[in-house]
Amino acid sequence: MMILLTGGSACGKSSYAEDICLQGPAPRFYLAAMQPYGEDGQRKVQRHRALRAGKGFETIERYTDYASLKLPARGTALLECICNLTANEMFDENGNQSDPCERVLSGVENLAQQCDLLIVITNDVGSGGDIYEDGTNDYIRAVGAINSVLASRADTVIEMVAGIPILVKGELPLCN
Amino acid sequence: MVLILGGVGSGKRDYARSLGYTDDEMSRDVFSDAPVLIELEETVRRAPQKAEALLEPLCTKELVLCAEVGSGVIPLSAEDRRFREATGRLCVQLAKQAQSVVRIVSGIPTVIKGEMPCERC
Repeated sequence: MMILLTGGSACGKSSYAEDICLQGPAPRFYLAAMQPYGEDGQRKVQRHRALRAGKGFETIERYTDYASLKLPARGTALLECICNLTANEMFDENGNQSDPCERVLSGVENLAQQCDLLIVITNDVGSGGDIYEDGTNDYIRAVGAINSVLASRADTVIEMVAGIPILVKGELPLCN
Repeated sequence: MVLILGGVGSGKRDYARSLGYTDDEMSRDVFSDAPVLIELEETVRRAPQKAEALLEPLCTKELVLCAEVGSGVIPLSAEDRRFREATGRLCVQLAKQAQSVVRIVSGIPTVIKGEMPCERC
């Protein structure tokens, strides 16, 4: 079972995803793709850790190469998020750019094969409307293409708006 | 309180008018007596650290209109990120308190919580 959860910044995706995870079988893995840059990033990581405290997640921080990740056991996994993972797979530390789609998608597929319930968080990065430089435009298109493939693969797709889950495909999972 | 969300220019104000509210009843000032608060995101943008304190006065409004600003590429500037996140979190709190939440897409209202608000008598 795979659920794709999309929505803007601070729309309640993470806490809703964690609630869904509690419906899935243990053990529960939180797969963190965000590299915590600077004070801001550290604060975000701290906030997410506090949200997950007591929910019984084992956190695995991994910024790239989910295709070779072996989960310690079969259960539930929450991957956060496609936007970070795509950026990490697309740009190396020297700013060199390569096509991330295959690496991201095979990574997610590898996870899907190893758990009973996989929740994947993403964002609609194409809805900003600003003008960007070429690399960023490539990134927006890559995330859009990856989101489309994942939505087609997923059993359920949900968009979060102001903490309210809106069903886009499949059935809403039962949770509070 | 009814929360009305949607992109910039998606038709939130037209929707408020369709419910029977006039432009004179719409204000950008959270602390005014106007029943309709518009452009909440701009108030948050000016002082994202004070967003939480707006929750209580906003709950006394009849309609609160706020643009969805959390999509698109995550901004490079920390200030812009804080603005997006503060707006998002405030909307989550408002949606919890709201009797109804309506989302406007291309001028079309969809109720995502509660009942479709009826026209003002």
